[in-house]
Amino acid sequence: MIETLISGITYSSLLSLMALGITLLYRTTKVPNFAHASFVVFGIYTSYTLALLGYNPYLGTLLGFIVSGIIALILFYALLEPLRRRKSSIFILMMATLTYDILMFGIINIYADYLQTTFKIPARNVYLAPQDFTLIGLKGVTIVSTSLLIVLLMLLYILLNRTIIGAALRAVMENPSLAQANGINVSLMLALSWFLAGGLAGVAGALLPMYMMTDPSTGMLLIAPMFCASILGGLEQIYGAPLGGFILGLATTVLVSWLSGVIGYWIMTYSLMVPYITLIVTLIFIPRGVVSIILKR
Amino acid sequence: MKSIEKEIHLKTIGITKRFGGLVAVNHVNINVMRKSITLLIGPNGCGKTTLVNTITGIYEPDEGEVYFEGKNITGLPPDRIYREGLVRTFQIPSPFTKLSVLDNLLVAARDHPGEKFRTHLFRRSWIKTEEELINKAFEYLKILGLDKYWDREASELDAGGLKLLEIGRALMSDARMIILDEPIAGVNPRLAHNIFSHIVELRNKLGITFMIIEHRLDIALRYSDYVYAMNRGEIISSGTPDEIIRDEKVRSVYLGEV
Amino acid sequence: MFDVIILFITDLLAFFGIYLMLNTALNIERGYAGIPNFGLLFSYAGGAYITGHLTAKIAILLTGAKVEADPITQPVSALMVLNPILASNPLISITLLIIILLIGASFGALLGLIQLGPAIRLREDYLAITLLALGEVMNYIAIAYKPFINGSLGVQVPDVFSWIGSRYRFYLATGIILLIAFILYIYAEFLGRTPLGRAMKAIRENEIAAVSLGKSLTRYRAIAMIIGSAFTGVAGSLWTLYSGAITPTLQRFDWTFLPWLMIFLGGIGNNLGVALGTFIFVLINRLIIFNKHLLAGVLPFDIVWFDYISLGLIMGLILIYRPQGILPEKPYIPKNIRRKIVVSRSQE
Repeated sequence: MIETLISGITYSSLLSLMALGITLLYRTTKVPNFAHASFVVFGIYTSYTLALLGYNPYLGTLLGFIVSGIIALILFYALLEPLRRRKSSIFILMMATLTYDILMFGIINIYADYLQTTFKIPARNVYLAPQDFTLIGLKGVTIVSTSLLIVLLMLLYILLNRTIIGAALRAVMENPSLAQANGINVSLMLALSWFLAGGLAGVAGALLPMYMMTDPSTGMLLIAPMFCASILGGLEQIYGAPLGGFILGLATTVLVSWLSGVIGYWIMTYSLMVPYITLIVTLIFIPRGVVSIILKR
Repeated sequence: MKSIEKEIHLKTIGITKRFGGLVAVNHVNINVMRKSITLLIGPNGCGKTTLVNTITGIYEPDEGEVYFEGKNITGLPPDRIYREGLVRTFQIPSPFTKLSVLDNLLVAARDHPGEKFRTHLFRRSWIKTEEELINKAFEYLKILGLDKYWDREASELDAGGLKLLEIGRALMSDARMIILDEPIAGVNPRLAHNIFSHIVELRNKLGITFMIIEHRLDIALRYSDYVYAMNRGEIISSGTPDEIIRDEKVRSVYLGEV
Repeated sequence: MFDVIILFITDLLAFFGIYLMLNTALNIERGYAGIPNFGLLFSYAGGAYITGHLTAKIAILLTGAKVEADPITQPVSALMVLNPILASNPLISITLLIIILLIGASFGALLGLIQLGPAIRLREDYLAITLLALGEVMNYIAIAYKPFINGSLGVQVPDVFSWIGSRYRFYLATGIILLIAFILYIYAEFLGRTPLGRAMKAIRENEIAAVSLGKSLTRYRAIAMIIGSAFTGVAGSLWTLYSGAITPTLQRFDWTFLPWLMIFLGGIGNNLGVALGTFIFVLINRLIIFNKHLLAGVLPFDIVWFDYISLGLIMGLILIYRPQGILPEKPYIPKNIRRKIVVSRSQE
């Protein structure tokens, strides 16, 4: 049971990092980013490549932040910014992120094929947990993911609330046209938010192969949990994302495992559907997220 | 005056609408008499449009009640309020951009059998209604001077044209009361006078009640029967156009600014 | 050589027909009513899987055949009994086809109703997320719930086209797909010209103005979603019947993203544009797949990934440079009405 709980906490931390980016982007660009899955997958393959080259895969968190951040920046400058300049609708922007996800899915698969033929290894089953370290009985990925989540949250808080850039970013979130009128470079601030969100997803992705078996389509499997965590927390409140991440993360691990003991093992086969159902139920009954309920009181 | 003309058509009691900490509309009581042309004036951001949005179901009021023809319509959704016979236009024109000008008017028609799922397959069941509605739409388009653009996409109209299209749609709805949000903003003075004389004519002929938000008092005042003046979410004065013009409070907050 | 060309054309037309149904459905949902249905897969897979589940069962009922084997878990032995009977009996085959298509349509419509819950309440962006998420659910159900279509193994279905002779089986199947696609297309075009279609478009253009002019968002979105999902369900049914088997592997890329790409390419809101976009896309796509073997040794990776990249790039270019498509939507005015108006205006 304790093991499940620890595993659940690890998963929740990773989910929170992903959801944090989705919420951040929704606040700045007002678009649900369907390409977030790709950002995560680029993180996975960054740490995997490092491991193949003989480096410590945990270096992947740093490099993954940069790689996925750049992948996100490309999406912003190649598609979203030109569309935003043309005053395209939110719908077109959503379509653009979906398109980019497809494009990146193709690229990462080609990369996996390339690794497979060059290194003669099964690059479609990325699992690094055997290489993980343990410290006082805890798996390395648990320690690193939870502490990174806390550190990154704190850094984000400091960036947003204690720096000039953060003030500008918050102004863009509140009212982009007013921010523009006040001489803030909105486009640059949006680009920054895409870099940050991509980076957070990259960090989560880099840690993911330590936690579970991953492959290029892992992103597609995670896109619903990510959105679910983000919406559950509340898309209007950045710090809601970790809350949503932990509620959903613990529900899909601890709750399902407990239920399988009580109701029967067959429930496990349906556990993949938990995020979908939670997502739909949340959107219909508390579309503004759990945070909205807490803040009301 | 006949007694029926004294009847109250629209009544609000203590309507209040807040956004966060901001009180946009504060305990507003207004009475719009049947077959009147009632003007609602006030400086920008004083809550006029919010009041109209709250009356017509776009927002739900935080407090207060709205009665239309004696029936409580507080909090009903906009399409239900339309069904009751109260229709409004928008300050920022909201055309159906990719539909033709004619179609824009036809959409507003009431109880079209061709819009029902059960009957839409049988063209014969609705084509006669459609033709009648087209004739009716053309009458309004002529009045508004839009008839020569009837087959254009609404997006091709200029700002003034879009304003007129808004009015056309409202007229097309067979409403018993129409709320016009700045109908002549951006319209040239000659056409503006023309529109107001048509409003008076429609009121006289069809008995439609009009409530009009307007800034251009030089034109609007002379066509209206009664005026409410708003400032900072509250009604500060009301009366006939002559009384309003002489009112000190109104002069200081509103006329002084013009 | 001639056989190869015929095979290519049959395959091309079958894909064109299936995609035309999907894209017409999407055009009603998005092109008319403005619903961003990123969950097309939900009702499509639903139609395909329910057909996999029920065809053999209904065939047993219709033919009265004694089948010992369970048609879901032991399809081969069940089909050994059923297929010969269907092959020698056109009437039963056609009845079975019609029943299955009706079931596909109703099940699709039912799934449309489920999608409707969110579609009525939510804003466009939240709605897109929900529908996208829902789209993935059908595969999980099919994999988790074994009795549906035998889990990830999938099922084979009885052949309702073989009565014409195995040589012409695919031609018949393709012909029927095209016929149904054509009927649905004509209906969609008709719908766009009715006041009902006009009300849907008004909602798409401006929700608040439409609702203030008495158009209930719920009602018209519901109608569009149910019609669209019924179409999608039929397309799914036909796909299973055409392929003769189905596994729970229908992908979002093939059955949601590509339809979106095609309607963007052709012109959202314009049925002719949608048909044109579908044809151009399917033609190019099939040509590539047909000649895939030429590239097989040349590239160091599977050509299918190249498909994702090239299509992603094309979609990006369309979004930026021509989001209205090849044939943009135009206001529709019936000819007789235009004539009448022109005559009456010239008399004044």
